[in-house]
Amino acid sequence: MSNTENSIDMTRPLPDVQPWSRPFWEAAKNGELLVQHCMDCAANIFYPRKYCPECWSGNLDWIKSSGKAVVYSFSTAYDMVEPRFWEDLPYTIAFVDLPEGVRMMTRIVECDPEDISIGMEVKVTWRKLNDDFFLPYFRPVKS
Amino acid sequence: MSKSGIAIIGIGEVPTRIMPERTPWDILYDTCMDAVNDSGLDKNDIQGVITTSPQAQPRLTSELAFGKLPEELGLEGCRDCCIVNAGGAGTSNCLRLAGQYIESGVADAVLVNHVTVHSTISVPELIAFFGQAGVDLQWEYPFGTTYNIVMGLMANRFMHESGCSPLEMASVVTALRSWATLDPNSIFYGKPVPTPEMVLESSIINTPLHKRESNVLADGGCAMVVVSAERAKKLGKPAAYKLGESARYFSGTTVVRDSDKVTNGFKVTAKEAMAQAGIQKQDVSIWNCYLAYPLAHPIMAEALEVAPEGKGGQCFLEGRMSFGGDIPWSTIGDAPGRGHTGSGVSSAMYVETARQLMGKAGERQVKDCRYVYQNTAGGSGFNNIVTIWGREPNE
Repeated sequence: MSNTENSIDMTRPLPDVQPWSRPFWEAAKNGELLVQHCMDCAANIFYPRKYCPECWSGNLDWIKSSGKAVVYSFSTAYDMVEPRFWEDLPYTIAFVDLPEGVRMMTRIVECDPEDISIGMEVKVTWRKLNDDFFLPYFRPVKS
Repeated sequence: MSKSGIAIIGIGEVPTRIMPERTPWDILYDTCMDAVNDSGLDKNDIQGVITTSPQAQPRLTSELAFGKLPEELGLEGCRDCCIVNAGGAGTSNCLRLAGQYIESGVADAVLVNHVTVHSTISVPELIAFFGQAGVDLQWEYPFGTTYNIVMGLMANRFMHESGCSPLEMASVVTALRSWATLDPNSIFYGKPVPTPEMVLESSIINTPLHKRESNVLADGGCAMVVVSAERAKKLGKPAAYKLGESARYFSGTTVVRDSDKVTNGFKVTAKEAMAQAGIQKQDVSIWNCYLAYPLAHPIMAEALEVAPEGKGGQCFLEGRMSFGGDIPWSTIGDAPGRGHTGSGVSSAMYVETARQLMGKAGERQVKDCRYVYQNTAGGSGFNNIVTIWGREPNE
């Protein structure tokens, strides 16, 4: 770590992809939210691994998520984030539970942060980082 | 020697401050020499040196990892040295390794130490460092999370499930700062203790975390001299004897962490370590909890059964964990009270454990301190390590 402010990186970070998670990001480009699935023990896995963390099988595939989720917890940031995220403030980071039985970190968007609550129903929406990466954000399900 | 048969016989520490003019090597010299002098041993009696990695300082880490410290200090009897990195759990592992050095015959006396200097690193770079440390670079970091946000996520869920109020949560800071204001090594030494209302009046960093519920990054360091319990007893000086230990691993990333597993881990590790030490909950003189942020203190208080279930926050609000309360708790004020020195807060808490058992804690001295519960954790809470320390060895 240098001691100068000249080296501050303002570029948006891209996911540090592993070979076995590449299908997730490829599908994201088409607006599909995938969950890794073990063909031997039937575990749904998030985040994706090289081998199933339950049974160590390499016989892994993918299932398509409905894209629906429920907010498990959230925190809205107003300050003290990296300079590269300053322009987004305030923004809300959340853990959301998918009906496929896995939990993801995400952002909750398209609503006032003060309207977000634990247990809120949300649906996936995609944020383009560049031509290769779309991040799965979630927005409230409108009644 | 039994597997828990070590003792801390010397301690050294510098005040935690924001002092860029005080270099890491200033701190290393002062803390290590103080610890050795406090132990009554000669510098050349030190045969092993184990340093907790200064997580945010790669250059210093390399210097220490590659053996510079014994050379600087002229430790002519040194047989080996290394650094250990498990974040905030690093010092627990240093002490384990010190036990192994002693048990295997590599060393009779081991110097365990830590230093971190944050003040020479720019604020944006510190924020960037703590934005990435312990955060998954594929599934968490691209969304813009930080350590503070991770703690906010856990706090919001805990408050939702337990009914712990913002005022109760804020009172944890008041309790921790009540100890810190009396601690000459704290960055808040002599400073007014904020009321819970004042904590809530400070600006929000990220919900539900207020500025006064976060940590001030600072510079600090400390050192300990460790010998076998048998040797400590022969020396006849005040010492802190390690009597029991237990640990549980939870998860590297917060997104897959099961909160029930964490709470159960807090409970089980306490019970196992106390059983190994041959003591009961009521024997513990101080609950020296290292949790870095206020939010986990009520959870820990309930898991340790020093607070009734669902009443952890209330016990803090009632002042029971504050200086003068009936539950001596984190007597340097944990990171919110001490100032955050990276992996060094847990090092400082081990020094405090020894200081209390040696009867050297001054105004903060807990009367008739016989047994101390000490926990540490690394990263965003990937594990929980519990040790029990006493002022006498187990017979």
